[in-house]
Amino acid sequence: MHAPRRKAFNSVNAVSLARWIVITASLAMTGLIYVYLTLQLHDLGDRKKGLENELTSLRAQNDVARVQIEALTSRSAMQRRLKEGYLKMVSILERDIVRLNSTSRPLGEDAVQPVVNKRAGR
Amino acid sequence: MNWNSRIRCALVCLGFTALFSVFSFRLVYLQMVKHDEYAGLAAEKHVYKQAIYAERGSILDANNEVLAHNAPVETIVADATHLNNRAAVIPLLEDALKIPAAELLEKLEGDRRYIILKRAVPEAIAMTLKEKLRVGNLRGIYFERDSTRIYPNGSMLCHVIGFTDFEHHGIQGVESSMEEYLHGQDGYRYIERNRAGQEVVLYRGQERTPRDGYQVHLTIDLNLQNIVENEIDAAMREYTPQKATIILMRPQTGEILAMANRPHFDLNQRQEAKPEQMKNRAIIDMMEPGSTFKIVTAAAALNERKVRPDTTIFCENGVWNVGGRPLHDHKAYADLSVRDILIKSSNIGAAKLAISVGDQKFYEYIRRFGFGERTGIELPGEIGGVIRPPQHWSKISITRIPMGHEVGVTPLQMTSAMATIANGGKLVTPRIVKSITTQDGKTVSTFSPVVLRQVISPETAAQIGSALRGVVSDRGTAAAAAVPGFTIAGKTGTAQKVDPKGGYEQGKYVVSFSGYLPSENPAFVGLVVLDDAHTTKPELNYGGLVAAPIFSHIAEKAARYLDLEPHEELGKPPVAGRVALTNAPRR
Repeated sequence: MHAPRRKAFNSVNAVSLARWIVITASLAMTGLIYVYLTLQLHDLGDRKKGLENELTSLRAQNDVARVQIEALTSRSAMQRRLKEGYLKMVSILERDIVRLNSTSRPLGEDAVQPVVNKRAGR
Repeated sequence: MNWNSRIRCALVCLGFTALFSVFSFRLVYLQMVKHDEYAGLAAEKHVYKQAIYAERGSILDANNEVLAHNAPVETIVADATHLNNRAAVIPLLEDALKIPAAELLEKLEGDRRYIILKRAVPEAIAMTLKEKLRVGNLRGIYFERDSTRIYPNGSMLCHVIGFTDFEHHGIQGVESSMEEYLHGQDGYRYIERNRAGQEVVLYRGQERTPRDGYQVHLTIDLNLQNIVENEIDAAMREYTPQKATIILMRPQTGEILAMANRPHFDLNQRQEAKPEQMKNRAIIDMMEPGSTFKIVTAAAALNERKVRPDTTIFCENGVWNVGGRPLHDHKAYADLSVRDILIKSSNIGAAKLAISVGDQKFYEYIRRFGFGERTGIELPGEIGGVIRPPQHWSKISITRIPMGHEVGVTPLQMTSAMATIANGGKLVTPRIVKSITTQDGKTVSTFSPVVLRQVISPETAAQIGSALRGVVSDRGTAAAAAVPGFTIAGKTGTAQKVDPKGGYEQGKYVVSFSGYLPSENPAFVGLVVLDDAHTTKPELNYGGLVAAPIFSHIAEKAARYLDLEPHEELGKPPVAGRVALTNAPRR
């Protein structure tokens, strides 16, 4: 005679299952974090590149402006403007010039230095 | 499990083991044995060595006015393997770069990865093109930052500054001689690009930052240079000489304050310049100096104590037959003091002075004054001139060399010799570079004055200086060099032009004047040389009548600029001029 039938159950090792779930979840999380960080690095790299480009562009614009300023204020440009009438030579008479670096008298002389501008010297 | 099942199981396991072993071996082979080879191939595909160019240093004058600097431009390049829409790219490039479509099509055909489409594209055009490519999502066109050399003053000082080639290497002037300082050091960076050709910043490799070029400060004062340029232009209009050179130099330090040559060229249009226009005649042209050379003769005789300034010498009444050839003076003189030999510029007197010194000694003095060797100025291509040793002299050489014939000197050597007289007999090396600094102003190197030797005693120099003051007087040959309010010392020169085929060219002269101001404490030495000047009458083509007035104009303006105090007793000082805005309030 057959023994009475019993419902068969597979026993589950809950601890082991939990361990595997934790390990799998950890690995998955690590992978996701890795992907996230990598993407972040790429994003930061792109932002870095963007900033570099912006900086280069600003430097270039600055250089272009500097070149324009120098072209407009160069001696040749000033002379051209002088010819065109934007600038004018104004004569300064000798009597209006006060000479501070007199070359013909010894330096360090402890006396009042005479100047060419007689009015200023008085 | 029966036996068959076990065998089958083992066979399957063995099969898997064998399979994975093959894979493993292959993996090991690829990753370890072939690693470098495949890594190299992969790198070739994606990794680039990107050059980071150093910026070329600027050239500045003594007052920090910019003479040469850089303007940003872009070089447009294409990678044919990255082009995603040739048909759309070509019209954009054609429009922006003004290159015919057919030419673009030809360039972009194939799969070349580095095609230079156009260099030196202005920044504004490049930016517009970049934006259009971005909007059209067009790939394969890249922009490399570059720069072009700009010379704000155009033709002014062109021979001194020089210029660069398209690879930014100096090929003339200071651009060439100071190349090692100006060029800087390029950097590099290893980068990876993705399939779209964009850089993957994350995978940047080794990097070296560039070092920008240093700034070169010249001794040239642009204000004085401007005075000289205006006067040389005026002289070119008035006398239409074939060539002209003017130099201003500070005798105590050897600093070149101004240097101008004609013909000249625009540095910003250098591709249109002819070779003749590019020569810096102050250092590469040789001339017979004529009577300005008599300062060497007189200095030798006085320094050797063969004569005193008041020693009289019989000048043969204008013609002296020596060595079978007559030697003429331009006027008949009987007895002249050594001083008067210089003042009247007597050829016979100068010849007799040289004879009193002797061939060998006279030759030594010529060499001691720096003739026959390069001065050492920081400019490329300088020549040393031609001074033959006495063993190669003819019978009459000792009578011709004292008056500046049979010798080849450069204008700079002649200026340097005059500076020696002005400087109490000390020969100072002429120099054009004052200092080298970094872009932020830190001094890297300073060039100090170099006294080469004491050529003659200070007493002899003073005696020559005194005689040269007489030259610029009513009694002398260069009364026209005078400047009201100042004492000037100088010497005129008029030499027949040497024919390259031999002999001399009839009716063609090199006229010159070399002098310094103020004679008692010289602020500058100047030289004016005009080659084949055209005067209304041929008899007016003399150094004293052509070159001396030019020197006078320059000296007058330079004295005013340098704020030299005029001596009131010497004449009414000139009226000073300054630049001011027209809308500035007037008093």
